[in-house]
Amino acid sequence: MAKQLRMLAPEAFREHLSRRAFITGGTAAAGFAVVLAACGGSEEESNGDSGSEAASGDYSRVINTSSGSLAMYTWGDYNDPEIVGALAESELGVTMKVDYYPSNEDLITKLAASNGNSGFDIVVPTGPYVPQMIEKGLIQKLDMSKLPNFGNLDPAYVSQAWDPNNEYSVCKNWGSTGYFYNKTKITRKMETWQDFIDACMNEGSGNCAMIDTAPNLCGMWYWANGHNWNDQDPAKLDACEKFLVDEFAQHIKAFDSYPSTKLAEGAYSLAMGWNGDLRQAYVRIADAGGNPDEWVWVLGAPATELWMDNYCIAAGAPNPDAAHAWINWELVPEISIKDLQYHGYNTGMKNMDTLVAELAPDLELGDMIFFSDEQVATFQTQEITPSLDRMVDIFNKVKAKAGA
Amino acid sequence: MTATVAPEKRWRPRAPRFALALPSMVWYTAFFIVPIALVVVYSFGTKDTSKLVPVDFSNPSTRSYSEVFDETFFVVFRSTVRIAITATLLCLLIGLPVAYFAAFKVSEKWRAIVLAAVVVPSFTSFLIRTVAWRIPLAPNGNLSKWMQDLGVVGENGIQVLETAAAVQLAIVYNYLGFMILPLYVAFDRIDVRLREASKDLGAGRASTFFSVTLPLAGPGIAAGVLLTFIPMCGDYVTATVLGGAKGNMIGAMIASQFSGAQNWPLGAAMAVLMIGAVLLTLVVGAAIVWLFPRLLGLFEPLIQQWRRSRASSAAQSAAATAASGAEPSRRWSIADGVLQRSLGVWTILVLVFLFIPVGLVFLHSFNRGNSFTIFANAVSTKWWGELFDGAMFFTTVLRFAVFIGAAVIAKRLLTRRALFGRAAYTVWIAPGAFALALVINGLLTSWYATIFDFAGVGDAIRNSFIAAFGATVIAVALGGTSGVALARRPGAWSNAFMVVVFLILVTPEIMDAIALATWFPRIQDVAVIGHIFTEGWGPFNGGINKLWVGQSLYASAVVTLIVRARLAGLDESLEQAAADLGAPPGRAFRQITLPLIASAMIAGGLLSFALCLDNAVISTLISEAGSTTFPVALLGATRSTIKPFWGVGAISLFVVTMASLWFLVVILRRGGASAGNIAATLTGN
Repeated sequence: MAKQLRMLAPEAFREHLSRRAFITGGTAAAGFAVVLAACGGSEEESNGDSGSEAASGDYSRVINTSSGSLAMYTWGDYNDPEIVGALAESELGVTMKVDYYPSNEDLITKLAASNGNSGFDIVVPTGPYVPQMIEKGLIQKLDMSKLPNFGNLDPAYVSQAWDPNNEYSVCKNWGSTGYFYNKTKITRKMETWQDFIDACMNEGSGNCAMIDTAPNLCGMWYWANGHNWNDQDPAKLDACEKFLVDEFAQHIKAFDSYPSTKLAEGAYSLAMGWNGDLRQAYVRIADAGGNPDEWVWVLGAPATELWMDNYCIAAGAPNPDAAHAWINWELVPEISIKDLQYHGYNTGMKNMDTLVAELAPDLELGDMIFFSDEQVATFQTQEITPSLDRMVDIFNKVKAKAGA
Repeated sequence: MTATVAPEKRWRPRAPRFALALPSMVWYTAFFIVPIALVVVYSFGTKDTSKLVPVDFSNPSTRSYSEVFDETFFVVFRSTVRIAITATLLCLLIGLPVAYFAAFKVSEKWRAIVLAAVVVPSFTSFLIRTVAWRIPLAPNGNLSKWMQDLGVVGENGIQVLETAAAVQLAIVYNYLGFMILPLYVAFDRIDVRLREASKDLGAGRASTFFSVTLPLAGPGIAAGVLLTFIPMCGDYVTATVLGGAKGNMIGAMIASQFSGAQNWPLGAAMAVLMIGAVLLTLVVGAAIVWLFPRLLGLFEPLIQQWRRSRASSAAQSAAATAASGAEPSRRWSIADGVLQRSLGVWTILVLVFLFIPVGLVFLHSFNRGNSFTIFANAVSTKWWGELFDGAMFFTTVLRFAVFIGAAVIAKRLLTRRALFGRAAYTVWIAPGAFALALVINGLLTSWYATIFDFAGVGDAIRNSFIAAFGATVIAVALGGTSGVALARRPGAWSNAFMVVVFLILVTPEIMDAIALATWFPRIQDVAVIGHIFTEGWGPFNGGINKLWVGQSLYASAVVTLIVRARLAGLDESLEQAAADLGAPPGRAFRQITLPLIASAMIAGGLLSFALCLDNAVISTLISEAGSTTFPVALLGATRSTIKPFWGVGAISLFVVTMASLWFLVVILRRGGASAGNIAATLTGN
């Protein structure tokens, strides 16, 4: 338990942030110890070996070293920079190169355009996109013998519908979608997607940001109206299009999948976002001299999504050996939790509660990472249905209309 | 030509006239004409995401075109053209006084300084300067707070970000330099005697400007409009970074059709119509420019009459003042001083405007916080790696000093003159040694590693250099040969060739980008070529090879024009003399033509290098792992959080780019060029 967490939030904002009682659950919020923020700071270094005997004894910690360089194509700001930087070099012997894409569609286009010669080793698609990537031959089968730490994952997050035997994909982390608002600007109490839509169309009009992906935007309408977002009923799609294009689009200020920085700049008074990014917004708002107490996170209701991003190995990967070593290494509990502290998404390790209590006892804003059973019960996983094409068309039109 | 005495040449060119331009023709056909044609073909297909190339041709139709004319998409078209036209006019209005001031109102020395100040900001990464506008415009930013305190803006602060206004501002900012330079060149070339004659004949300041200066500057204005309006129409970066939903522009929308929406036919139709819109706007603009003076001509008698009456009344009043003993021309001399001073103030304001984002990039690279745009009110050098850690800083500075010193001594020893002359620093030694020291510093120390190791900034910078260097070599080779061919062997082919070069210059970059991005997968099965673009060759991977192709197109067109212009100014007598003296064509080319065009090729090369280094649009769409350049990586980072080390990277790139630009200026200076010629070369005039 002698675990020393890195205190990366600089003094100035730590003081500021400690005024806010972050977690209602009564965790002692002594200082803002979340390793949300920085990379490359020179404060105390965490040490992955000591103090993890008790509950974490039943985890496998095999580290297969490799060599050369490893190219990862992933979502923005999605790994602790220290893990992909210095640690990957010292522990794995691998030099990482990381590039970012803004949506699954962009990822698929990029891989398809080079037809197995993209040069990327690791890609991180969201679950439902895995089957079409398999079908198009964009990702290759995993060699499970090279992933001895696979058993560290909670069984709840393996064998998903899109890849029942985990032949192609391994859970990186999962999360959900909600929204963030400034309660000095939006004074009403907000609890559901309907509240969000309503606020966007009234007091928040022209000051709201939407996630920049088609399923999320359309999903919001489905959830707000009590539908399942996988419902393929054309009448519902028509209604969705009519509402979003004709009534809602004009109120949107931006399509922004990572609103945290811009929330801090003051660009939006409410924004839809993924839990991990909105969690970072608290730090950025304090950085910018704002008051984090003014901001409220709401998990989408009555229903919202559960998405899971997965490590896959691209077809034609130049360094599949290092790619396996990387995936396996990310499944080591210490690395997994370190990453979790950075990006703020549940990495799906088994016995997560004890693991976090042990490795990251000072974790702040845990309610934005871990969800209660009641909350999880409202989560819906996206399925790839023919209606996705239609959703992309709707999204396209909403974007065009929003610019009018 | 005049000097030719020999009735017939000793050698006859056996190769066809266009032989020298043949490599360019092949290159442009393979990587410009055919890919663009393919985009046009895609626009008639239908979307089918189940295929690897998500277009179905079984049922060709014009559906995508009618979809573009659908109201929702068409508004973005309209607003794009509106933003671009407004920005072009604003650039003209803002830039004209600056160019006029630099050309007519200041000494040679200050002229060079003003021009350098216009150019310098453009050599900081285009993207980081655009991002930097978020800093002063942020509703929670310091500027916004001050303005709130002053009561200039409401309690919500400055509400400009994520609107078309922010895009408008940044676009004017980004392209202002491209307007000022050609305007300056045009003014600079006007024969001063014409303006003097106009004044001597009694024309006032205003009428000299409008009837002599402005018409003579016409070609410069046209060049400036072309250099700004066309890239603006295809601009993709500014709208993505600052525009939000409201400031959406067609370039960003086309790109999203190809990647996000996977609707290639729609994106292709939009791209085709965009080129149509650009050309239509240019034609309409040209028609207005052509018609306006002619319409004005209809009123000429009336104007003449008005002028005459005004002149006679002025003469009367002058006579009256002369009679009363006052100094007659006093009024004008005061106006002259006021004009000069207000032009000067305006120029300074414009230059300050140009330098605001550069200063902010520098300031924010010392940001203690973790987001580039949010200054956490504490300064830190942590993003600079160990550069500012005592010993490292000392050794770095020392190494620079040693290199400069060694270069000075070496030069002096070679020329055997006094050891330390002031001129030695200003000519080429200081910048040369500086650039060398920078490179060797990077090779010898771990400093780069300490800053750039994380997040691949170092790789991105290295890739940027490799890509830009290769593209420049290609551009100089192609542009040099076809420039010579155009100037020395014109024929029926040269018109067609110039049309292609012109098309390359006017095609918005986003169109080239999608054309190439969809073309490369198609040629990957072609024998040798496909192999180069998939597996690469030697130490260069396929992605780098693709970047060479993509970045070389525009650059080679620019080099072609520069080389052609250079040779057009020199008659062919030297080459003919060489031929008369029995030199075979190859030798004449090597010993006569090549030295003649060397300075043009170097100038074109360095200009290409700067352009390629900053290329974001084409590079983003065609880059792959291992070939990510600085602008591509930064554009990727703008989608989430931009860390302050991007500022550090941009400044490092800026220093190196400036060093190479300095070489350009020095080389041109040695060729006896004036500031005006240098600016002319830089803008391809």
